Amino acid sequence: MAFKTVGKRKPKYEGVAHVTGESKFVDDIFVPRTLTVKAFRSPVHKGRILKLDTSGAEQMDGVAGVITYKDVPANAYGFGADQPVLVETDIRYNGEPIAAVAAEDAKTAYKALDAIIIDIEEQEPVFDPIKAMAPDAPKVLPAGNIMMFDDLPYNLAAMGDVEAGFKEADHIIEETYFFPDQEQTPMETQVSLAVPEAAGRITVYSVCQDRNMLLGMLAGILQLGSEDALKCECASEWAGRTRSAWRQHAGLNRLKMQSGPVGGGFGGKNEFHADPITAILALKTGRPCKWRWTREEEILYSTHRGAMHITYKDGVKNDGRIVARYIKTIRDSGSYVGFNGYATGKTNSFANGPYYVPNLRIESAAVFTNKPVSSTMRGFALAPATFAVEAHMDRDAKTIGMDPLEFRFKNAMRRGDKLVNGQVMNDTSIIEVMQTLAQKAGVQLPDHLYQMTSNDRRE
Amino acid sequence: MNHSDFIAPNDIGIACDQLEKLKGKAHILAGGTDLMVATNLRRLSPQNLIYIGQLGLDQITVDDSNLIIGAGTTLTSIIESADAQKQAPLLVDACKEIASPAIRNAASIGGNVCNASPAADGAIALLALDTDVTIVSTRGKRSVALKTFFTGPGETVLEKDELVKEFIIPAAAANSKHGWAKIGQRKAEIIGIVCVAVNMTVEDGKCQNVRIALGAVAPTPFLATKAAAVIEGKALDDQLIAQAAQTAADEISPIDDIRASAWYRRQMTNELVARILSGE
Amino acid sequence: MPILNCKVNGKRYEVVVEPTTSLLEVLREKLMITSPKMGCNTGDCGTCSVFLDGKLIRSCITAAMVANQKEVTTLEGIAPQGEFDPLQEAFLENHGTQCGFCTPGMIMAAKALLNENPKPTEQEIKEALSGNLCRCTGYKKIVESVQAAATKNS
Repeated sequence: MAFKTVGKRKPKYEGVAHVTGESKFVDDIFVPRTLTVKAFRSPVHKGRILKLDTSGAEQMDGVAGVITYKDVPANAYGFGADQPVLVETDIRYNGEPIAAVAAEDAKTAYKALDAIIIDIEEQEPVFDPIKAMAPDAPKVLPAGNIMMFDDLPYNLAAMGDVEAGFKEADHIIEETYFFPDQEQTPMETQVSLAVPEAAGRITVYSVCQDRNMLLGMLAGILQLGSEDALKCECASEWAGRTRSAWRQHAGLNRLKMQSGPVGGGFGGKNEFHADPITAILALKTGRPCKWRWTREEEILYSTHRGAMHITYKDGVKNDGRIVARYIKTIRDSGSYVGFNGYATGKTNSFANGPYYVPNLRIESAAVFTNKPVSSTMRGFALAPATFAVEAHMDRDAKTIGMDPLEFRFKNAMRRGDKLVNGQVMNDTSIIEVMQTLAQKAGVQLPDHLYQMTSNDRRE
Repeated sequence: MNHSDFIAPNDIGIACDQLEKLKGKAHILAGGTDLMVATNLRRLSPQNLIYIGQLGLDQITVDDSNLIIGAGTTLTSIIESADAQKQAPLLVDACKEIASPAIRNAASIGGNVCNASPAADGAIALLALDTDVTIVSTRGKRSVALKTFFTGPGETVLEKDELVKEFIIPAAAANSKHGWAKIGQRKAEIIGIVCVAVNMTVEDGKCQNVRIALGAVAPTPFLATKAAAVIEGKALDDQLIAQAAQTAADEISPIDDIRASAWYRRQMTNELVARILSGE
Repeated sequence: MPILNCKVNGKRYEVVVEPTTSLLEVLREKLMITSPKMGCNTGDCGTCSVFLDGKLIRSCITAAMVANQKEVTTLEGIAPQGEFDPLQEAFLENHGTQCGFCTPGMIMAAKALLNENPKPTEQEIKEALSGNLCRCTGYKKIVESVQAAATKNS
């Protein structure tokens, strides 16, 4: 069979537009009469809003519209159905949007922000997830700072019997690793342009990386659908469905979302930043609304990779087998559910690395703190675990005096091994990959390691 | 009245008149690489701008005893100037490590000095070069030694209606030696964590007219006079170098900030002064 | 209000501005020339880089009136209509562009280098591009693109 594309060199289809400067990023799209949007953000890390007076902004010359929580049709979005577009009473992080203005230009928009009067009862915040786990820590979420998975304060994945395994071990090696949070810092910041169209429709030009998911979520926030649809708990469940009846039912036929080209995302453009606010302002003012986040807003307030504290406790035999492993992960989730629950499941699937351990217990906790919501970035929830597991494998090997590569071959997955989630590995080739890598890297392996295969039965 | 102006005089006398007339309500614009940053970040709202790019303040000349650099000279022009390379190679070395090429094409040496950051590389090099500053206004001309020019972070002796015209640097002596070092969090586009500029002449193997200027380790660009005194009139050896380096680390007053701790700055001052003196 | 009179990519414009309006704002919002980007608005990232009288500058921190009676060149103006500058071809062929956001500024910085130094070393390329940030490519392919363009020139 002759391939048309596989094995061939193909030009990057948007490459010409990039090198000629013709690529139109969201901020490069100009629609007549577009208003400039700016957000009024919380100056405190945690507090209760006692009074908010936007009349000074509303009455200002050149201001076309001001919105608060009252203007948001459905003000709780996300996988936890808990995140407000604009804060009603309880502020959870410094920079959280409380109001937004649409004005003729940026200068007027900033003046309008200065005219907003707010009275906040400041409360004590908590920033460190370890401190946030204490029973007397300030509450970030009303229900408590630790995400519950049924009755457990962590997402559990286990197989075998770790305690029995530890008793069998010759060495117990424990260490905690810390992987800090990271800002994706794409060259393009968050930008959104919302354009009201005829007959109650709206087009949103977005920088998001996951348009189909956010399309449904935005329709839910804007409540564009029928009465029945409005009763659905989370419109995101339905995103991407193609049945036209459902689209009409959920109001998706009234919302067009265009995303791309995106000026870098790396996971930082998977959640809402500017789109809901520009969309609501566009519908309210009847004019296109554009909001470009400054670099400072991007670094301080956008979603970022969640920091993780990861503890490994390994029971290792002198012959190099890891017979028991306990992993505890604590994910700094910031102040809303977002992707953080899902993240714990990912960590559980991958924290053990490509190794087989018969007795395994993984407890992944998501803990809330008074910071912008932690989210996705380049292998989120597993890149930190990969760093930690590999560092710990080296530590184990050093403790028993075994070559770190040999230690990995010894514990590498083979065909027929079970993962902690019950999945049986029918086709794994980590041993062959390591052998090929060693060859390519010019690393000399002892013969017996070159002779191993993924089909070998375990001793 | 709320009216704001962009004034681009062709004559330095007119510039001074405008500065006097708009005293306190106008900012001087050269390259803009500090002023426009502050404006874009809304830390500053200049009402009027007096642009000095058309005043001919971008010339580099040499007379019998001095190198004279116009305050409006860009950093790139200094780097490329044969006269500057010969008479003030220390300043050229410092300018090469400021920001990045596009910034150096616009930024002026006058702006670097008048912005008066304690980390201003150009200012630190000029300090080690015994520079005098020529200041003009409607009241005439005055000269101030650079070592008395800075009064605090971001503050200088300039009145609100004064303009820096040029920098007078003594021409390099035949046997002069210099060294420059700067460290930061990256290899380019860095505000220094510590910068060191050393200038001296060497006669019969002994150090004369030693100047050690340090950046980002005090409220202003700092002349380490005690450290210089350790080696003044002496021949360098390992022990003396170590003593001078330690003296420099002791006489500074660094702070903890987002780029580094005071402790680290003292360590690096010691290290960099020693390295420069050893390399000379 | 000041009136800016300048040429951009060979065409003359007259624009009313405020004293602190930046050249970047004029190019993008008044003239709809969108290849220069606003990545930081503080002169750090390089995405706004253009030529002013042939010199590479940061348009985001250049007061627009500084360009009065001068010539501005953006990426749209480095090659005649319908043709490619060797740098543009080289960036395409050598994967020097991914998301495309840093690309206009990056090509302008590379062009400034090759205009002065047609046969730069790898170190000279890196120094010339030291003011242009890219978060996608890791820079290796960008340097290779500039090397390829330099080879084309000879």
